[in-house]
Amino acid sequence: MIRTRNLRSLACAGLLAPVLMNAQLDRSRPPVAGPAPVVHLGEHTSTTLSNGVHVIVVEDHKLPLVSVQLRFDIPPVHQSGMAGYVDMVGELLATGTATRTKAQIDGMVDSLGANFFATSDGVYAGALKKNLAPLMDLLTDVVQNPLFPTDELEKARTRDLSAVQQRAEDPEGIAEAVGRSVTFGPSHPYGEMHTERTIKAITRTAVEAYHRYYFRPENAYLVFVGDITAKEANDYAKKLFGKWKPAKSLVTTDEFGRTVVEGIGALVPLEKPTTPSGVRRVYGVDRPGAAQSVIRVSFPLNLIPKDIRAQQATVMNTILGGGIFNARLMQNLREKNGFTYGAYSSLEIDRFNSSLTATASVRTEVTDSAITEILLEIERLRNEPVTQAELDLAKSHMSGSFGRSMEDPKTVARFALNTELNGLSADHYKTYLSRLEGVTIEQVQDAANAFLHPDQAVILVVGDLEQRRQGLMELSMDGKGIIQLNDDGSPWEEKLTPVQGKVAEQVLETHIHAIGGREAIAPIRDLHIERQVVRGADTLSENEWFSAIEYRSILKRDGAVIEEYIHDGERVLYTDPEVTGELNDAGYEAIQLRGRVVPAMGYAKAMEWMELLGSTTLMGETVYKLRLRTAYGLTFAEYYNAESGLLVRRVDDFYYNGRQWHMTTDYNDWKGVNGVQFPHTIVEQGAPWGKSVRTIIDVEVGKPKPVTFFEVNIPEMPDLPVPPEMLPPLDIIPEDQ
Amino acid sequence: MEVAALFAHPNIQPPTFATPGSGATPMRILLSLSIAAMLVAPAVAQKRAINYTEFDLPNGLHVIIHEDHATPIVAVSVMYHVGSKNEDPSRRGFAHFFEHLLFEGSANIKRGEFSKIVENAGGVLNANTSGDRTYYYEVLPSNRLELGLWLESERMLHAKVDQVGVDTQREVVKEERRQRYENQPYGTLTMEVLRRAFKEHPYQWPTIGYMEDLNAATEADYQAFYKKFYVPNNATLVLAGDLDPVQARTMAERYFGDIPRGAPVTQPTIVEAPLGGEVRDVIHDRIQLPAVVMGYRIPANGTPDFYAVELLNRVLSGGNSARMNTALKDEQQLAIYTGAFNFPFEQPGIAMLFAIANAGVEVNALETAMQREVDRLSTTPISATELAKLKVQVETEAIADNSRVAGIAGNLATAHVLLGNTELINTELDRYLSLTAEDLQRAARTYFVKDNRVVLHYLPKNQP
Repeated sequence: MIRTRNLRSLACAGLLAPVLMNAQLDRSRPPVAGPAPVVHLGEHTSTTLSNGVHVIVVEDHKLPLVSVQLRFDIPPVHQSGMAGYVDMVGELLATGTATRTKAQIDGMVDSLGANFFATSDGVYAGALKKNLAPLMDLLTDVVQNPLFPTDELEKARTRDLSAVQQRAEDPEGIAEAVGRSVTFGPSHPYGEMHTERTIKAITRTAVEAYHRYYFRPENAYLVFVGDITAKEANDYAKKLFGKWKPAKSLVTTDEFGRTVVEGIGALVPLEKPTTPSGVRRVYGVDRPGAAQSVIRVSFPLNLIPKDIRAQQATVMNTILGGGIFNARLMQNLREKNGFTYGAYSSLEIDRFNSSLTATASVRTEVTDSAITEILLEIERLRNEPVTQAELDLAKSHMSGSFGRSMEDPKTVARFALNTELNGLSADHYKTYLSRLEGVTIEQVQDAANAFLHPDQAVILVVGDLEQRRQGLMELSMDGKGIIQLNDDGSPWEEKLTPVQGKVAEQVLETHIHAIGGREAIAPIRDLHIERQVVRGADTLSENEWFSAIEYRSILKRDGAVIEEYIHDGERVLYTDPEVTGELNDAGYEAIQLRGRVVPAMGYAKAMEWMELLGSTTLMGETVYKLRLRTAYGLTFAEYYNAESGLLVRRVDDFYYNGRQWHMTTDYNDWKGVNGVQFPHTIVEQGAPWGKSVRTIIDVEVGKPKPVTFFEVNIPEMPDLPVPPEMLPPLDIIPEDQ
Repeated sequence: MEVAALFAHPNIQPPTFATPGSGATPMRILLSLSIAAMLVAPAVAQKRAINYTEFDLPNGLHVIIHEDHATPIVAVSVMYHVGSKNEDPSRRGFAHFFEHLLFEGSANIKRGEFSKIVENAGGVLNANTSGDRTYYYEVLPSNRLELGLWLESERMLHAKVDQVGVDTQREVVKEERRQRYENQPYGTLTMEVLRRAFKEHPYQWPTIGYMEDLNAATEADYQAFYKKFYVPNNATLVLAGDLDPVQARTMAERYFGDIPRGAPVTQPTIVEAPLGGEVRDVIHDRIQLPAVVMGYRIPANGTPDFYAVELLNRVLSGGNSARMNTALKDEQQLAIYTGAFNFPFEQPGIAMLFAIANAGVEVNALETAMQREVDRLSTTPISATELAKLKVQVETEAIADNSRVAGIAGNLATAHVLLGNTELINTELDRYLSLTAEDLQRAARTYFVKDNRVVLHYLPKNQP
């Protein structure tokens, strides 16, 4: 064992070296640690000027640098339709004052070799000590006398609109913005999204009014860090901010008791930190052909910084995925499964609304598996105590990172500021390490149980949704399947271009022609199609027989019938291992259509209504979208390739077992048999019974079956109508126009 | 070019002392690119000199030790002089792949334990790779200096290089490639410029490499690469922070002294011919806003003209008052973002200028405006005021850049390995400060010329 401190004097005397050199080096295990060094928390001074400005100073004379932050304590502000205006306060703050133009401000900052960032809650600046005086003058001017010039506002608006436009192609940017929106909801300031509409609505009046109302001495914190003495800092503060007493905003109260600020309007009261509620929801932003899916699983938390459980929750998050390589998410999703370059969870705890968010970018094929693993890891944290080794590692990491953070004198300033803003006890950071040491396995599990509820997770996927529709759908628990959104967070709607001079019947006629034409199709008699059906882990066999008007299909698992339909031309008999009976109404119509060699040839007769809604793009090809409805209300959409005329996809929206299903059926591998094209692979996704891939093994023509083969014998029992929930309530069907 | 850290650190810190407003920042990737480039440039000299001692072990390992007791932490790092330019053209991506592979363990460290040992000690670790070198580091509490030496010596002496590790990390690297390049707007920008800027030199391929090369490689290929490059005579060990230099030296000798010297490593000597004419191309990407990129061939890092071009970049994009920012963003409102930086390659490389258009701005209008600013650098010498501004910026950054032991360790290693002179950590600033307006103008006339560049237009996929 080497005791670093004790040996230092020996080493200096040259005595140690030979000892160490001669000792046999044991490489087989890590060297033992010497006594842990003591972490010293730096000191700060704190004073308040007569007008209320708080001044915090941290002296550190190691390097000739000083940084200054003027920070206003401002709650998150709901921007009511003008989302983006609060950020614009920061963008515009340093673009013109009563005595300086933007060019002069920029030139001054750069000539001083300074950093200078203005934000919606203040200004941060830093420079060599020798350049501090002019920098302080500038900071003061910018905060106290900004003009918010109209032309600069218009430039900022143009840039912000461009940024919103660019975000549409930035999957991580979309995930972050839309993710916050669905986690906190649009009524919380954290959930408001900047969109083209809100940025266009921003007014200079609002920007100016925000500054007047919130940039005030009473809630100002002026923080100095670096090569400066407390006296020098306080002298700057007194000289530049001591007499600052800006005019107040006109404030009234409206009929609902809300504060109304002139120029801003009624302040929307901030909701209490959200307690998880509702059931697990799955949101999706579709990016066809995306290289990866960005996934985000989040939980709003009812937790504030001064809550004693905040530290316990942080330990829990560290074990889950908070920045260490040995966190469970990283080990599971990256090191064990190779799904991703990195999987993380982050815990944001603030006074206004907290949340825990797990994120990863994964390859498309494993999108839903990766989410499942994340939810499993969370479930495991709730159900099983973490191991002592994991707890120790998390604590070591947190205390190590606390120690490393002391290298930056700004850390001490940040602690002082956090203590004041969040109402922490005065010794909060002094006791940080000892409190950390006391966190127990039980407390970690309690935190998981208190804050993480996998059944209430808010899930967002930004990626190629079509590829994983089934799996994602099954993660949803709110009955809505995948709630599809646009990249700006608005509800997704298919964009359809009207098609002039064409009607649904023509699209169907082109389709019929494309697969062989009526002359080729009509003579087909006694058709038999054999398929292999892969459904989840099951491999099934499916046989269909088509006669003149009769039809029969049998689906088997391991030789046993699990689903059978017989249509004798008038009635349909349905059979499965539990039930058998006649199908009526829409159920009858569905099988009647399915029983035609080319279903589209029966549409003219079967459909009560059909319409060509328009054209759109599907998997890179232009397609026509048709909406069809039978007499009994069987409603679905079909997409036909505009060029080839072939059927590409069918979509059925329906309710079953109390939830909405969005089932897509893709028709692939069209190949000719006896001059007629058949889709050799059919992929169904989003169905209650899971994803199915149906592949043709054999097609036979001209081998008639006896009439009895299609005989329908209705058993002596009441009719089996289609369960009402199978029928889509017509008023809820999403309309495409 | 900084590519590919072992893993990306997410933002896990609570709101810091100074957090500029976040908002929508679609230019993240470009910002990080240019910042990375700045960080790598081993600028630095300052009034407060950085102390260090350096020596070679008999096996050729170069050791640099820096003592600073301000915070009880130490940085332990090894820079191997191997990057993507040392790769066989049929094994592109090997150096970066090793960055991942060499965390898999060693004869004495079980698979997956490497990071666990560091994190259990309250430390952090990571690694990164460029065209020229690979850099591994740990930052530990100061009582774990010896642990850091043990870990790095294990990695150098007998790292676990086998098929199991290769198979796992190949999947991870595949996802890294997708996440950082393919699924990012403008993510392919660097590779598209480099592949057109070099025809012979290995800088033409991206450090992240190509999956087909990694797939084609055998276990024996990996082992040969390890034996060839990860040897003491091709490495520099840096120990920095709260340590006793004498004791640290003893420990370094103890842990690294018995590692056998490898065969001498030679660096590629390929000299790329002049570009011989402008190369132009259009890239269609998943973006909304067009972008213009200009890649100019420039001399190697450490040469006087390299520094001159760095200052030219600063004239164009160093701060809000820089020329491209004022002209393109403020006055003409053509751009939402502009940038200019050098890749700090040790052999002749590239300076990259780029601008992203505002919505609705036509790409040629943007290029014309950029060109005007580039031309001005050649036609008119910069003013004394402007030159003074550049120098105070460089001076301030140089000081800030050496404010943490991890940064100092990296800068010491870079100065020694890529520039061949450790003392540059203290004197490199003088090289910037000695430059004149004439030096800059001459550099602009020499390098920022059409025949010496690649110009790419990035356009949205659906735009012809």
